[in-house]
Amino acid sequence: MPEARVLTRHLGAEGLTTLAGYQTVGGYQALKKALVMGPEAILAELKASGLRGRGGAGFPTATKWSFLPQGVFPRYLCVNADESEPGCFKDRYLMEEFPHQLLEGVMISAYALQVSHAFIYIRGEYRAQRELLEKAVAEAYQAGFVGQGILGQDWNCELIVHGGAGAYICGEETALLDSLEGLRGQPRLRPPFPAIKGLYGQPTIVNNVETLSNLPYIVSEGGAKYASVGTESSPGSRLFCVSGHVERPGNFEIAMGRTTFRELLEMAGGVWRGRSLKAMQPGGGSMQILGPQHLDLAIDFKAVADAGSALGAGALVIMDETTCLVDVSMRLVDFYQHESCGKCVPCREGTYFESELMHRLEAGLASTEELATLADICATMDGRCFCPLGDTATWFVMSAYRMFPDEFQRHCGAGHCPVRAELETAA
Amino acid sequence: MGDTKPESELLAVSVDGRSVAVAQGTLVWDACEKAGVYVPVYCAHKKMEPVAVCRMCLVEIEGTAKLQPACATRVAEGMVVRTATEQVRKFRDGNLEFLLVNHPLDCPVCDRGGECDLQDFTLRYGPGRSRTSITEKVHFGKAIKLSDKIVLDQERCILCWRCVRFYDEITGEKEIVLQERSVKTLIDTFQGRPLQSEFQGNVAEICPVGALTHAKYRFQARPWDLRRTASVCPKCSYGCNILIDAREDQVARFASNDNPDVDDSWLCDTGRYSFPELNRSDRVLNPEARLAGARQTVSYQDAVARGAGALLRVRGDHGPDAIGFLASTQATNEEAFLLQWLARDVIGTPHLDHRLSALAGIAPEQFALGIAEIEDCAAVVVIGDEPELADPVLTLRLFKAATKLGREVIRQPLEGDPEALAESLTGKDLVGIVAHQEQRQAALGLAARLALKGTTTKILTIVEGMNARGCQDLGLTPRLLPGYRPAGTPGRDGGEILKAASAGSIRALLVVGQGWDEDPRFEEALSRVEVLIGITPFAGSLARHASVLLPGRTIAEKAGTVTNTEGRVQRVRPAVQPRYAFPSDLRILGDLARGMGADLGVQPLAGPVYELISQAVPGYRGCIGGVRPDWTLSA
Amino acid sequence: MTEASTASQPGVPVLNAATRERIERSKALYPSARSAVLPALWAVQEQLGFLAPEGLAEVAALLDLVPSEVEAVSTFYAMYFQHQPGRHLIQVCRNVSCGLRGSDELLRHLETSLGVEDGETTTDGVFTLEGTVECLGGCGGAPMMQVDRYSYENLDFQGADQVLAEIRERAVPSPAGGSHA
Repeated sequence: MPEARVLTRHLGAEGLTTLAGYQTVGGYQALKKALVMGPEAILAELKASGLRGRGGAGFPTATKWSFLPQGVFPRYLCVNADESEPGCFKDRYLMEEFPHQLLEGVMISAYALQVSHAFIYIRGEYRAQRELLEKAVAEAYQAGFVGQGILGQDWNCELIVHGGAGAYICGEETALLDSLEGLRGQPRLRPPFPAIKGLYGQPTIVNNVETLSNLPYIVSEGGAKYASVGTESSPGSRLFCVSGHVERPGNFEIAMGRTTFRELLEMAGGVWRGRSLKAMQPGGGSMQILGPQHLDLAIDFKAVADAGSALGAGALVIMDETTCLVDVSMRLVDFYQHESCGKCVPCREGTYFESELMHRLEAGLASTEELATLADICATMDGRCFCPLGDTATWFVMSAYRMFPDEFQRHCGAGHCPVRAELETAA
Repeated sequence: MGDTKPESELLAVSVDGRSVAVAQGTLVWDACEKAGVYVPVYCAHKKMEPVAVCRMCLVEIEGTAKLQPACATRVAEGMVVRTATEQVRKFRDGNLEFLLVNHPLDCPVCDRGGECDLQDFTLRYGPGRSRTSITEKVHFGKAIKLSDKIVLDQERCILCWRCVRFYDEITGEKEIVLQERSVKTLIDTFQGRPLQSEFQGNVAEICPVGALTHAKYRFQARPWDLRRTASVCPKCSYGCNILIDAREDQVARFASNDNPDVDDSWLCDTGRYSFPELNRSDRVLNPEARLAGARQTVSYQDAVARGAGALLRVRGDHGPDAIGFLASTQATNEEAFLLQWLARDVIGTPHLDHRLSALAGIAPEQFALGIAEIEDCAAVVVIGDEPELADPVLTLRLFKAATKLGREVIRQPLEGDPEALAESLTGKDLVGIVAHQEQRQAALGLAARLALKGTTTKILTIVEGMNARGCQDLGLTPRLLPGYRPAGTPGRDGGEILKAASAGSIRALLVVGQGWDEDPRFEEALSRVEVLIGITPFAGSLARHASVLLPGRTIAEKAGTVTNTEGRVQRVRPAVQPRYAFPSDLRILGDLARGMGADLGVQPLAGPVYELISQAVPGYRGCIGGVRPDWTLSA
Repeated sequence: MTEASTASQPGVPVLNAATRERIERSKALYPSARSAVLPALWAVQEQLGFLAPEGLAEVAALLDLVPSEVEAVSTFYAMYFQHQPGRHLIQVCRNVSCGLRGSDELLRHLETSLGVEDGETTTDGVFTLEGTVECLGGCGGAPMMQVDRYSYENLDFQGADQVLAEIRERAVPSPAGGSHA
């Protein structure tokens, strides 16, 4: 059964956005349990769960936590709610539908990590969701799940919802820290890594909304049970966003490793308008393209990596047979150009150069030499930028070019977009 | 980097096949430099933290998948670095192409042309052919006057962040910041408001391209027309090391010449932009003498003979007490020493000085603290505003001590309570006290209070004027002989000399340098004396009133040494040729002595005179290359 | 209503007591006062409608920073306005998922129906149209637009026109109290 019910196990219950509603389904019992278990036992369960970060990089969460240096305080926890990956809308869903599940996960983690402050950094565009969270946080304070003497114990932790102001790059964890410190949100040089020297120069853990929303389940049901939802190489469940050319776009919770892209696509009603699949992006705007030949791949970290892409932030974007991949590439490159923080040369100037060429190519104005230049630009950028933003700005384009070289070449000197022209002729 | 550690603590690193041993913590970029391998970089600057934004210095490091920034990566034992591979070469070429995508093609009218890292790297590592002509360039502001000192061209900026980091890490003023993002990122001030800093010139100097340029150098010269000479900034007693760039007989600019013990590579604007004073056109170009009431041009030999004769005549008629000697603080150590010898040993007068107000009770202990040693103090007390007003670059050292080293820097107002301060500092390892010479009693008082509480102190006294410290060390003072030995007969200080001259008891004056035109007592005295021998480079009251006038040299034309406020002896070198063919100030003094029948025993040249100084003041021996004399030797 | 049109007078703060109070509260909330920069800028924008230079300088003073630092931060983030926008901000997401489902056509339709280009404000000052935005996380309901803080998803031309007509008809500030913050 590919569909899973971990994050969404309370779906359908009444009033989940309120504390009272959440408590009727057992909300905050896991936090109480956690306080009895103690930090080490929580970490052991987390380790057993095999949970990997859901923000994009997929780094094992327990390993990340273990990097915190012993005995250095204060420490901080930052929740990355700067969901901005094109095609990604799962954290928004989790915050809208299950805000208290997130808060409970945050407080369990805050306790396990012994932090004095936890921050939820939510992107500026999610203003309505921020207000929802702020309401939930106020309720949690009121109920004694956050603040001073939590649940009557000698444990204090503040929880602050911090609104961003429109910058994709703040989803990168060190840029998030700079932004939270009141600076321009630009990535930091590493090392030192945030776990050693993060927010305000103190040990800091940054975890994604979905990652931490799993904590109540892991604590109440046990790490092993969580892991068994998925497979050994891809434990647990995952909320996947499906969008683009599908009948029913939306979020779907799937068992990791046990679900194929075809099954996920079917959950979303299949390719729309009875059309066939041309290409798909398995991990949001940053990730390399896959084709129909990959539909039966399991949604598994390794399987997707072997196919030359990555699960990224968990967003499947479906493109049907009518799609012009040069047009999609141009759209994504424009996005990266707009969101480049401007810090390093290859990203700042490279995305601009790339975008200028993509516009010429899509308009059919570029020469074949310019197409070669585009490939050169991407080669110069990839792996050489200060942070992954600039690197990923080349991934979709280059993977699309590799998979559909003819489509790119046909644009050269055509004077218009040949894909659109053919569609119009056919219509 | 500090590679002075024992061999065993060094790490072995290979750069392009060359082995080097470097200390733990060394940056790969520095290891490459040590191996003799140049790695191009824009953003890195030795005085600032690495940021790795320009990516020019990416190199291959064995065992890492991606290219790594040499400027921000620390070495490890056995690290193998490759800078000359095809991958690195291609990346440099591509990265330079990126930098040119939005760079204006205005090299022919850019002040940085010829010394621009973008030009240089493009030539050496960049693309030979432009593929960027098809793209629209992003346009920004050009020739924006950020102040009367700095001009900004935002289009030429390659966003290396050096200026921004300078204003953040080095001065803390944050006047220039990054604005916007993506390809629209630019540098600017808040709402384009003018820069206020005293250290603006540094940003133009560290800018690797033509984005920030000096208003005073704008369209003045091309670097290949300039001759560069290492010297010392003449504007104050701090002794910042500079490079004087001269074009023909004009000084075109001052640039910094990093001395980590003194300036740490930064100059203040007062000093940096003082160079036009050296280019003044109202030079004294010929020896002149007053003949039958009117001044006339005479030969050099005639002028010296007349000067020597006049001094002998006054001494014969009125005794040596009727003669006074004054020199400005731009006199070199050699000139100061020769002058005090001329006064004391040749004429026999005790009336000599380099300043117009009295200075009692100075001693080497008041100069115990070195500038760089500020960083070693647990706390540093700066008394009043005067030290930093007199020697502005001191502010940057204090900021570094406070921000990079966590030292406590206390600015104690003149009217502050010394006892309360002493109380708060009790128990500190070492307390530095920085005071202007005029407030040295306050410094000594605080030191005494701290001594009672068992706290060790060291004082740095800030003196006024380029070589005031050298003049003191070498006895160009009425109460102290060279090496701070008390004079048998104390003479009149500068103010008293002028007073006596106005009153008629001093009848002859020998004045070297630019004098004190801003002080009315000066001209008054000059107009009264019977004999006035003036050695001066410029027009002014001294040149106007001199009965014997000899063309003097500016500091940019002299060879010799000067001593900064902390006692460091540093060389000044002639950077421009004087526009006349007459001897140096030092030679003039020697010739005057000879004219009076005295024998210096050596040639009046900087080297031999320094040897005389070393005999008189043993601590000075061997200090010529930037060393602080050990004053225990002179006791 | 926004107050930005009121010309500032020298020496008179442009930030009202409520805004200053909000900034002070933010300052106290964080372990470091500087962290209050973003919340403070939001507060200024909610009062003035955009980040007037005087407001930046006052934020700097309240947070013990220099104005240039605050300006450097404010210009980095796309949602802070350096100029007064229309009363309502329409953002049409044109990223990959929306692009696949007709967002370009939607933007072109809105340009025509509002009579403005992408980035412009209608002559009556009611709407500013933005077609260059980050992915707005509405991929599940593409094409979509966000008007002030609210998402309107699965839009066709008629649906979009209707939304805007209703907002215009209400002729009231959006529920936030007049700003798109």
